[in-house]
Amino acid sequence: MAEKPQPVRVLYCGVCSLPPEYCEFGSDFGKCKPWLIKNVPDLYPHLLQEATEKEADKVADKLQSTGISSGAGDGAASSAPKQEEVKRLPGGKIKKKEKQEVVIEKVVRNKRKCITTVKGLELFGVKLSDASKKLGKKFATGASVVKGPTEKEQIDVQGDIAYDIVEFITETWPDVPETAIFFIEDGRKVPAA
Amino acid sequence: MFKKFSGEDVSAQNQVKASVQRKIRQSIAEEYPGLEPVLDDILPKKSPLIVAKCQNHLNLVLVNNVPLFFSVRDGPYMPTLRLLHQYPNIMKKLQVDRGAIRFVLAGANIMCPGLTSPGGALDEEVGAECPVAIMAEGKQHALAIGFTKMSAKDIKAINKGIGVDNLHYLNDGLWKMERLD
Ligand SMILES: [Zn+2]
Repeated sequence: MAEKPQPVRVLYCGVCSLPPEYCEFGSDFGKCKPWLIKNVPDLYPHLLQEATEKEADKVADKLQSTGISSGAGDGAASSAPKQEEVKRLPGGKIKKKEKQEVVIEKVVRNKRKCITTVKGLELFGVKLSDASKKLGKKFATGASVVKGPTEKEQIDVQGDIAYDIVEFITETWPDVPETAIFFIEDGRKVPAA
Repeated sequence: MFKKFSGEDVSAQNQVKASVQRKIRQSIAEEYPGLEPVLDDILPKKSPLIVAKCQNHLNLVLVNNVPLFFSVRDGPYMPTLRLLHQYPNIMKKLQVDRGAIRFVLAGANIMCPGLTSPGGALDEEVGAECPVAIMAEGKQHALAIGFTKMSAKDIKAINKGIGVDNLHYLNDGLWKMERLD
């Protein structure tokens, strides 16, 4: 009998799930980078260098993003909490576009079945578990808080409720202005208002 | 094949009879002699073998909810990429050049020139209608499982059109289905 081969344990990327050598071909290499630098620094040697160079730009970025969010606050949601302005990704990179808005997207799962995802409610101080319960009750369907692709939590509601949901959100959580609600349609972001 | 695959495409899951279980083991052992010594670890005789029937004449073989092999119509059983990564030498390999990687990862079939260019590599022994691991230039792990449309010799000689059907690739629905609960 041939010798028994031992199974190879392959380390998969903690962000995109591919073998790390394929992260560069994944849908969002940028998001994998902090993980790659931490876990397989030798695989993409230029990343480390890139990261140090970015360190210098960071301060500028930070100033800029504070500017953007306080600007938006003047217009629409002045009552909402402001503490979440600058979020850091695991690698220390600053996430720039943390704008205060709710994004609703209909995702078709299987021919007629679809789910509606709601992202960003937490930015208005809404508790997601509570919101998911309310949405499930209102639309008599399943709703759950799940980790989205960018490791942020979102609410998945079964069924296509995209158009009724805006009114429900603004009525239930008056802190969320209609102007801060957006739909993703055909890959484009369109305002609900 | 698994581009948009999810649990909802599974129409029935059944524990198979002992006789069928034996047949499945046997055909897997014949197709992948390299697996024979570890077959008892991968498909333990004590654990029930589940066959999930899915749309498009697709069958999945599962143990403890983990998809391990798939087959199309009555074709040969092929390992999932996660299983192949554990036992990389059980399949014959063809290698695409770096330029072809992103197409393969988007689900495209493998064109002959991607295999015959300097970055590609062909195992001359591979015949037509044969399950193969698709490797890539400069990469260690397989990125897809394919089924050859022509022999490696023909791929080289004809060097035009689709050489290998891309059945299962990194990040497709089957890859994402680590478990079927
Ligand atoms: Zn990755």
